[in-house]
Amino acid sequence: MRLVSILFALILGISIIAIPQNDANAFSDQQITRGAYGDDVIELQARLQYLGFYKSKIDGKFGYNTYWALRNFQENYGLPVDGIAGAKTKKALTGNSDYDEKWVKAQLNAGNQFTYYGGQPLDQQVKKNTSGGSSNSSGSSNNNGTQTQVPPKYTERDLQLMANAVYGEARGEPYEGQVAVAAVILNRLESPDFPNTISGIIFQPLAFTAVADGQIWLEPNERAKEAVIDAMNGWDPSENALYYFNPKTATSKWIWSRPQIKQIGEHIFCS
Amino acid sequence: MKTWLVVLTIAVIGLGAYSIDLHGDKEDLQRTVLAQYTDKLTDASEKLSHLQRSVSQSLLFQDEQAIHNELDSVWRLSSEVRSSIANIPIGQELSSEWMNYLGRLGDEAKRTAKTGDYEAWREKMPQVSTNLQSLSDEWTAATVDFYKHDGKMDVWLQQVDNKNPNSQFDTVKDTLKGYGEKDFPLTLSESDWQKKIELKALQDAVITEKEALEKVKYLFPVIKDATFTVTKSSDTAPYPFYHIQFHQGIRLGYVDLTEKGGHLLSYLVERPVDEAKLSQEEIMKKAQEYVKKLGMKDVAYVESRENHQAWHVTFARVHPGDNALIYADGVQLKVAKDTGELLGANAMEYIQEENIKKQTAKPIDWKTFFQDDIQVQEVKNIYTDNGQFEQRLCYEVIALRDGNTQETFRIVIDAENHNVLKVEYLT
Repeated sequence: MRLVSILFALILGISIIAIPQNDANAFSDQQITRGAYGDDVIELQARLQYLGFYKSKIDGKFGYNTYWALRNFQENYGLPVDGIAGAKTKKALTGNSDYDEKWVKAQLNAGNQFTYYGGQPLDQQVKKNTSGGSSNSSGSSNNNGTQTQVPPKYTERDLQLMANAVYGEARGEPYEGQVAVAAVILNRLESPDFPNTISGIIFQPLAFTAVADGQIWLEPNERAKEAVIDAMNGWDPSENALYYFNPKTATSKWIWSRPQIKQIGEHIFCS
Repeated sequence: MKTWLVVLTIAVIGLGAYSIDLHGDKEDLQRTVLAQYTDKLTDASEKLSHLQRSVSQSLLFQDEQAIHNELDSVWRLSSEVRSSIANIPIGQELSSEWMNYLGRLGDEAKRTAKTGDYEAWREKMPQVSTNLQSLSDEWTAATVDFYKHDGKMDVWLQQVDNKNPNSQFDTVKDTLKGYGEKDFPLTLSESDWQKKIELKALQDAVITEKEALEKVKYLFPVIKDATFTVTKSSDTAPYPFYHIQFHQGIRLGYVDLTEKGGHLLSYLVERPVDEAKLSQEEIMKKAQEYVKKLGMKDVAYVESRENHQAWHVTFARVHPGDNALIYADGVQLKVAKDTGELLGANAMEYIQEENIKKQTAKPIDWKTFFQDDIQVQEVKNIYTDNGQFEQRLCYEVIALRDGNTQETFRIVIDAENHNVLKVEYLT
């Protein structure tokens, strides 16, 4: 009886060791498709690249490039071609590719340029970031190195600049007031009376106090970034305002002549 | 005593040297900034003259290619002057008037080149050319003192500070305003668009503050026990609305409802969001339920984006006649990743409701429309703005170029005249 137990334990031990490493790093059980972001997408992109289907940057954002790669994989492996990474697709992917999560995440966090093609030594697929900072230093990445998703007409740089402006101008304001400040910048972008880039609007001389007093260079917090993301996705608590001012500190007479819309916190928003 | 005197003397000398050094650095910086401002000012003034000449030269030709060259110059120069003006500290009001006038001139040139309506251009531009000449002269007179700042920033800033009225700047500003209204009056479409965003079409009965609160509690039951603060929009707001701020436990936020009819403008909650627990599929299902609960039953899903706390999901109204999506009548929802709670809803565009004119879709042979290496993956009928405040029936094409890297494009093509309205690079 004792011998049988030892034999059983031995077989169990061997079978645990024999499980391929790629299964240890398998996906979560959630199905993902276009619009998704995060760890599952990083793994999906890495595995698709390992097999040669995904040729773009591994960034954790399930966009069109990931979508086409996934469809091609599904077509090649006899799966239903729907661009959705469901249970069957994930199983086929994990069964046919390796995923070194630690290595991939390390590259993302270091801000390195890298690829993850199968059959090529990993150290030959990295171009190290020589700037010394991690990808997080851009301020728009999260702790897994994944960048924030913004609507296609905006860029990561826009998000970063606007978050700096919102934090510098309105960090003491309620969240709604921060979204409103971001919305004013975006309303100016649509208006013929202002420069036609976000950078041009923010750095227009005398336009924002935070630029003049240097507070725009403070590191924005997550709340300011979230406020900008909401504004970029359409929220405008200012109700189409083009200007705002603090009535306690405003020195310009002209700003008082603008038609006022509403007050949020310390700021009066006007058109 | 002697030792203290020596230490004090050294300290005073040290501080003096430091302050001289600091002052020198500040002056260096001021000179650098002033040089840039002066450069931009000179650039704007010179290009303004070139722009006036280009407008005038555009009236010389009947030959299409020759007119096109001048129209290109007008468009380019107006954009360059605009950019230079945007970088000079001349005060917001004057800057905005300049931006508007130059932008409209550039747009008119671009539109003429595209439509080939040279007659309208020839009719309008002689007056614009004269006005530009006069503006250029007034601008030169108003800015001549800017070159007399003796390298001192405060002298420059005193001249542009709107607390100290600058009569010459005021003249330029008034002239610009007058010329702008005469040379580039609002088109019918622009005027309609203005009315639309100011919600002029809303004809519902006015609701009371109490009714507004009831509506909020009905639409968003999660905050029905919150503490509310209701304020009315300012009297000068383009449309009257209730601004309702609330606080309930961990939730802080606001709802804006129109006074006429109590239509939802927007809703936003701030609360801590825990780790994601719901799948993409579950979130989308919840989003579909939320739009229905908010009373928007004529919308269809457009797109969604996940970020670390929430999903942003976009819907658009479906045209009842041809089922094309009307992107201008969009609704955006923000759904929490932890519980699937509705964290935000934005219906400002949805309640503006576009008035769509009947249009016909003429088919396009994609094989001849695109290059051989382009694969058309998806084609959808949509209504979108053509850049002239008109809603046009369009084909929205998702196309793929499969080379060394795969590149995806979103191309919006007017379904009637086949003009390409937009090309976006998708990743």
